[in-house]
Amino acid sequence: MKPRERVATALNHEAPDRCPMQASFTPEFAARLREDLKIQGKSVHNPHGGGNTYQLERAVGEDMLLTSVGWANSYYLDDKAYTDEWGVGWEIQPYETRFGAGCYTEIVGHPLASEEAISGYRPPDANRPELYADAEQVIRDFKDEYWIVGVTVTTIFETAWALRGLEQLMADMVLDADLADQVLDFPYRYHLTAAKKLAAMGVDMIWTGDDVGSQNSMLISPAMWRRYFKPRMADFVAEVKAINPDVKIAYHTDGNVFPIIPELIEIGIDVLNPIQPASMNPAEVKKRFGDDLCFWGTVDEQRTLPFGSPASVRTEVIERLETIGRNGGLILAPTHHVQLDTPLENFWAMVDTILNTSYASIGSNF
Amino acid sequence: MEEKLRAVKKAVIEGDMAAARDGVQLALDTGVEAEVILQQGLIPAMAEVGRLFEAGEYYVPEMLVAARAMQSGLALLKPFLVRSNAKPAGKVVIGTVKGDLHDIGKNLVAMMLEGAGFQIKDLGSNVSPERFIEALQEDQVDILGLSALLTTTMTMMRSTITAIEEAGLRDRVKIIVGGAPVTRTYAEEIGADGYAPDASRAVSLAKQLIGQGHI
Repeated sequence: MKPRERVATALNHEAPDRCPMQASFTPEFAARLREDLKIQGKSVHNPHGGGNTYQLERAVGEDMLLTSVGWANSYYLDDKAYTDEWGVGWEIQPYETRFGAGCYTEIVGHPLASEEAISGYRPPDANRPELYADAEQVIRDFKDEYWIVGVTVTTIFETAWALRGLEQLMADMVLDADLADQVLDFPYRYHLTAAKKLAAMGVDMIWTGDDVGSQNSMLISPAMWRRYFKPRMADFVAEVKAINPDVKIAYHTDGNVFPIIPELIEIGIDVLNPIQPASMNPAEVKKRFGDDLCFWGTVDEQRTLPFGSPASVRTEVIERLETIGRNGGLILAPTHHVQLDTPLENFWAMVDTILNTSYASIGSNF
Repeated sequence: MEEKLRAVKKAVIEGDMAAARDGVQLALDTGVEAEVILQQGLIPAMAEVGRLFEAGEYYVPEMLVAARAMQSGLALLKPFLVRSNAKPAGKVVIGTVKGDLHDIGKNLVAMMLEGAGFQIKDLGSNVSPERFIEALQEDQVDILGLSALLTTTMTMMRSTITAIEEAGLRDRVKIIVGGAPVTRTYAEEIGADGYAPDASRAVSLAKQLIGQGHI
């Protein structure tokens, strides 16, 4: 099966030859992997997919290729402090692991921290043709073979919290809905424009969404999600599907979001990502919502991949195939970019188990 | 007096900062002691906020605005509390460990502890083991709170606890840990005294560790 057929089959709630796979990496893990695979050449790796050569993804055997337009591309932009085109200030934060040192880019400056800045704010223009050059190339070069995903994550909430500051934005959402709406609309309109363009260009899926879950419960109340995000996401899905009804829409949110899953289905979301297993039991998610929703993620990036063993990674992958991946409907992926603290043996245990386990070999128990 | 305290409580629970401040000021102006406003107004209000959070009625935003309202009232009380030599429930030093800039969880824990009557010294984020040690040496601290959001920085909790042991300070303080990737098992493994999954439960944990209340 070609990678794109494999993904299409899985998203049609059918079992392909094997489960499709996707993985992204922090730049430091990508460098380690490149060395491990002895890959030469251009070394750009943006975990959200902007500016990639896709050498690593293809060498590893992934089935989906990601191309990104939006504020999320502001992560990992430079190795010294910078301000992105939205006016968000970033700092470089070094960390150390047993596999060496790395750096995160962290948000430190919020251009809309003061209320006065909001009414005069002009976000960047999402219609600039150069933003879509990467997408055009990946569609041209790889769509025959791979499932192409247009990335517009950090669609509303996360970009808005970078603009305003997370605590202040949450306070606005409780105390001043009009002000919160103004801030949320800047990124919403930008990412909607980007998603529509990407859909018109021919991507197979749009990846959208924001973190609205925390480790054990929702970060904001379901009522607040209904007030601010559900209507915007419903319009987003409708507008993208009006351009091409066959485009799938994947919604990203970390954490536990059980209370809003039925409403994600209601507004037309096809795929939920990343299903952090420490927050939501993947088997339960499948049982309750598997008839109406597909899943992308589920391999634990908080515990199993960084701190487990190759054996525990293998066990987890098989368990996913037998539960949330039963009869298709699943794209296996780490629940976040693979981080520098992950042993290569664990990463390869994940990849090898996915690539070498056919659906036929596990289906008989069910 | 009770009516005034009720108004303060209501303002805090609803996250109405101006009303909380006005309510505290009015109570002070009419001769209610600062300690009484704290113990019978602000602290019970934040206890109710914690209850609402644990019951799934309040989430982080509602807790945050309530805590801010509480802080605005508390700011008016502080000079009086200092003058009357009021004893805090306990002294807490808190911070996000070195390498980690994420602070909202830590901020919420600090605010909820403050709202339970603890005195807080917040060292901020990206705090080195040396800085934590310095803070423990400066004052008699009851509880040290360590926070981390990332798997790559969570390991710094262990390094911080080890450094505190090596500085000979470990027996003088109870250490509590929290943050998304942190678990009770991990807390035990690195020799912390306690773990709480959220800001509200961190308050019960802190009270239990200093011998007030139980989980």
